[in-house]
Amino acid sequence: MSLLIHCPICGRRNGYEFRYGGEDKGAYPAGRSLTPEAWYEYVHANTCSAGVVAEWWCHRHGCGLWFTIFRDTRTNRQVLEHGGRS
Amino acid sequence: MKRLTSLPTLRVDVGRPVPFVYKNQTGRGFKGDTIATALYAAGVRIFSRSLKYHRPRGLFSLDGESSNTMMTVNGVPNVRTETTLLAEGAMIRDQNAIFTARNDLLGFMDRLDRFMPAGFYYETMHKPASLWPVAAKMVRKAAGLGRIAPDFRFSGACDEMYPAADLCVIGGGPAGMEAALAAADQGLRVILLEARPWLGGSFDYRERGSGEDAPLYRQAADLASRVSTRAAIRVFTRTAMVGGYSDNLVTAVTEGGPDDPFDYRYLEMRPRAVVVATGSRERPLIFENNERPGVMLPDCALRLARTYGILAGREAVFSVGHDLGLEAALDLSELGLPVRAVADVRTKGHDPALVRGLADRRIPFYPGWAAAAVEGKKGVKSVRLASCDGGQYRILTCDLLAAAAGHTPAVEPLSLFCGPLAYDGQTGYFLPRTYPAGVFAAGRIYGLEAPQNIRISGRVAGLDAAAFCGADCRGAADAHRNELAALPMGRPASKWVAFPGPWRKHFVDFDEDVTGKHIRQAVGRGFGVPELIKRFTAAGTGPGQGGISGHNLPLLVAAIKNPSRDRTDIHGTVPAPTTVRPPLRPVFLAAYAGSGREMVKRTPVHDAQAWEGAVFRRVGVWHRARYFSADLDVSEEVDNVRTNVGMLDASTLGCFRIFGPDALSALQRVYAGDMSKIKDGRVKYAAMCNHDGCVIDDGVVIRIGENDYMFTTSTGRAGETVEWIRYHTRFDNWDFHLVNQTDGTGVINLAGPRARDVLERVTDADVSNQAFSFGCWKDFSLSGGIPVRCLRLGFVGELSFELNIPASYMQAAWDMLRKAGSGFGLRPFGVEAQNILRLEKGHVILGQESEQRTNLLDLNMGFLFSRDKDIRPVGADALLQAEKDAGRLTLVGIRMTDSSCVPPDGSILVDDQVVDPVIGYVGTIRKSRALDAVVGMALVERAWTAEGTRLAVYDGGGEPSERHDATVVRMPFYDPEGIRMRM
Repeated sequence: MSLLIHCPICGRRNGYEFRYGGEDKGAYPAGRSLTPEAWYEYVHANTCSAGVVAEWWCHRHGCGLWFTIFRDTRTNRQVLEHGGRS
Repeated sequence: MKRLTSLPTLRVDVGRPVPFVYKNQTGRGFKGDTIATALYAAGVRIFSRSLKYHRPRGLFSLDGESSNTMMTVNGVPNVRTETTLLAEGAMIRDQNAIFTARNDLLGFMDRLDRFMPAGFYYETMHKPASLWPVAAKMVRKAAGLGRIAPDFRFSGACDEMYPAADLCVIGGGPAGMEAALAAADQGLRVILLEARPWLGGSFDYRERGSGEDAPLYRQAADLASRVSTRAAIRVFTRTAMVGGYSDNLVTAVTEGGPDDPFDYRYLEMRPRAVVVATGSRERPLIFENNERPGVMLPDCALRLARTYGILAGREAVFSVGHDLGLEAALDLSELGLPVRAVADVRTKGHDPALVRGLADRRIPFYPGWAAAAVEGKKGVKSVRLASCDGGQYRILTCDLLAAAAGHTPAVEPLSLFCGPLAYDGQTGYFLPRTYPAGVFAAGRIYGLEAPQNIRISGRVAGLDAAAFCGADCRGAADAHRNELAALPMGRPASKWVAFPGPWRKHFVDFDEDVTGKHIRQAVGRGFGVPELIKRFTAAGTGPGQGGISGHNLPLLVAAIKNPSRDRTDIHGTVPAPTTVRPPLRPVFLAAYAGSGREMVKRTPVHDAQAWEGAVFRRVGVWHRARYFSADLDVSEEVDNVRTNVGMLDASTLGCFRIFGPDALSALQRVYAGDMSKIKDGRVKYAAMCNHDGCVIDDGVVIRIGENDYMFTTSTGRAGETVEWIRYHTRFDNWDFHLVNQTDGTGVINLAGPRARDVLERVTDADVSNQAFSFGCWKDFSLSGGIPVRCLRLGFVGELSFELNIPASYMQAAWDMLRKAGSGFGLRPFGVEAQNILRLEKGHVILGQESEQRTNLLDLNMGFLFSRDKDIRPVGADALLQAEKDAGRLTLVGIRMTDSSCVPPDGSILVDDQVVDPVIGYVGTIRKSRALDAVVGMALVERAWTAEGTRLAVYDGGGEPSERHDATVVRMPFYDPEGIRMRM
């Protein structure tokens, strides 16, 4: 509930204005050679790590932008990539 | 009882009586009274019986720190009468007693305490298991707090508010008000929260200032008027902070007063800085029978007199450990309460002026003494005072013992922000180790006692907060800080714990009846830290949430674990207190739920349909017309569409425009089919899948210009569609724009064999089958120039025109069609009729025929999936895999053998010949009048999909549950060639 997210367009806003879009795993793996296992890994397997995680968020009740942030899952706070306070 | 009426500090209006009913007798309080003070003035001393031992309990404090004074008011149990204002005609009952709190038939429980050691619930009550149900019943009857009626419904009005501020000051005492003023001076917008109905804190009811300053209550009034008239300071009284979270999220609940339109209002705010100035309470003194009615905190006795005009007893003894206790004794003596003696656990460090004052009034003063025991069953009869070394004692008769061991800071709000607390040897308090950025504290919470110090510390905190928010005032803050440092600091608080003993009737926690003996037992069992002892003994788990036991519990643990040490020097041996968690006060869940308004959208022709008798239901965020007729099987509406013509309000369907150089690419990504093949003037049916290939949406796409498309979505998906498309194109840097036109577009679906006849009457456009055939779309105007975009679709299986109309024209268009159709039998129909009509046609509704695991192929809609597009659509990889998977369910049409049997939607299909007898389930099934049969759609395993296969529908709702025969049949059931919709 107390999560604050810095939207690149709107600035610091309450977390419940945003929609979670999963861990940032990079672009969808390409093409014909994609194995079902690799597809599964991309779509469903998450690291769920206790620490700094890169995530997609959408400012649903604001500008509508999708963007990535780093979040420390232990403190539920947005941080810089290396874990410092954002 | 006659009240003191001439005190300047009085907060009750003795000219305004407020009647109430207590145990079928009428009483009278005054405006400004809380329920507890009105009862006390009326002579009530026993307010309740305790949870476990049924001991009598009375007024002990005035801020709701214990369950002692929780009562049932107007049928609502566990009302905290200490903090609830007396309302006219309140019906008050005591609780947790057989007969009454005064004469409780379960009072004998008190003598059974040796059979109820710490943790006895865990250890005693589980063997033999067969006895447990009986025991549980008895325990539940005897123990507990108020009883809630099974049909109780919360009837209060709740509200919510999300104010914005730079600074939130928690606590409206002198320090908090100074902080608010100092910050407002620096240009900050300030919110000030005060739990009591008025500002002033500990100054509000005190007379004595230091030196030549104005009396404290006058200082408080002066500050309060300055705070209340500052536009930049918003004051919320009767508002207790209940939660504090990371990054300064503060939640609070306001209890509505007589003039408020709500009973409870939830507040949530995210100030940039927080100042906590919640002051301090008194630490209860632990001695034998320390919670007898007639024992109360000195501050409680003082406030009863000064704020409410009530002298708490006829003869009082004081046992204190702090100057405020001495001040209370002296003040009450001056107000006319005979004080027989004042004991103080401290041997030195008293305020000499107060000691002199006691001597002047010939009140015996015992430094280095404390109360050891109280005699009396239902009230105080006498007190045994003893010297702290145990060498001497005296017994004094009295009916009031004002006792406290010293101060304890009201540190709970602060600890929510700051985390674990540590023992501070100087003050004897538990204080935060670290403060997060933007959180400051001020006032008595730090152990400050001198009024001047309290006020300056408030200014320092306010300026610190302002500097944190960017104001240029660090110098001013430091100047005040130096001023504060130059003033004499407060004396160390008393660290007294208790006289040695078994502590059998020495109550540490009132709510849960936890005694010193229980703590001793818990430590003896190896529980070393308060956090575990709390769980084993339940100390601090009651409604007061540690308000009574919070400070004493770790001190007792230290004293038990280190019995040899001097009990007044326990520094270094004190374990950390238990963790405080929100909510800090009991809060109705309804208060958290807030106003609970149902947020719903209405279509532009909502009222028009309501006039025609529509019954609405919620679909997604919308209210949609469900049916217009009295018969629940909507046969008239269905028949009318099949034989004449009907009109359906489909405005809730999502309507979007996408345009820009990469608009087509974006459509290719999210739609399974190939959108590059949309022909001009033609409508393309299309479906969206998720990564698993499961269908999440279907609708139609049309091309309205160069790089310009319009598409529709189902009602439930409209809100998420923009997000969805943006998400699945987030790595592509494509250039396109998306506009959600749902709310601005109304849709009327005109359907039935006479639909063209109706439409021709309201437009000059050529809507003949030659000029405008099935599967096409066309822009034209209705009479009067109403622009429409018309799509010829066939969801209900008849000739139909889907008219997309700007929302502002909807009412006019509806009326016009209604009038034009009067000669053709036109009548509106609702979603129930549509459900049957489309079912007869074999058209699926996502979420009815499909669920989360159903993919495009399962629904026989593989034709909507294009395998070789340039842009790989979402779900393609999963669909390509699923094509090889024979273990999936497939959608089939079924017909019941018995045409009078309509099983419920969702019924399972079974085959007893196989190991796992559940072979599928029914989506929708209805009686079809057009077919004179019961038909439905079902998802079944591959082996049962062949036409003519016999299936058994299991109707679990029947008693005895039954199996009904059904057969797999070809779809669509109605008009298989599709002639009628192409007419």
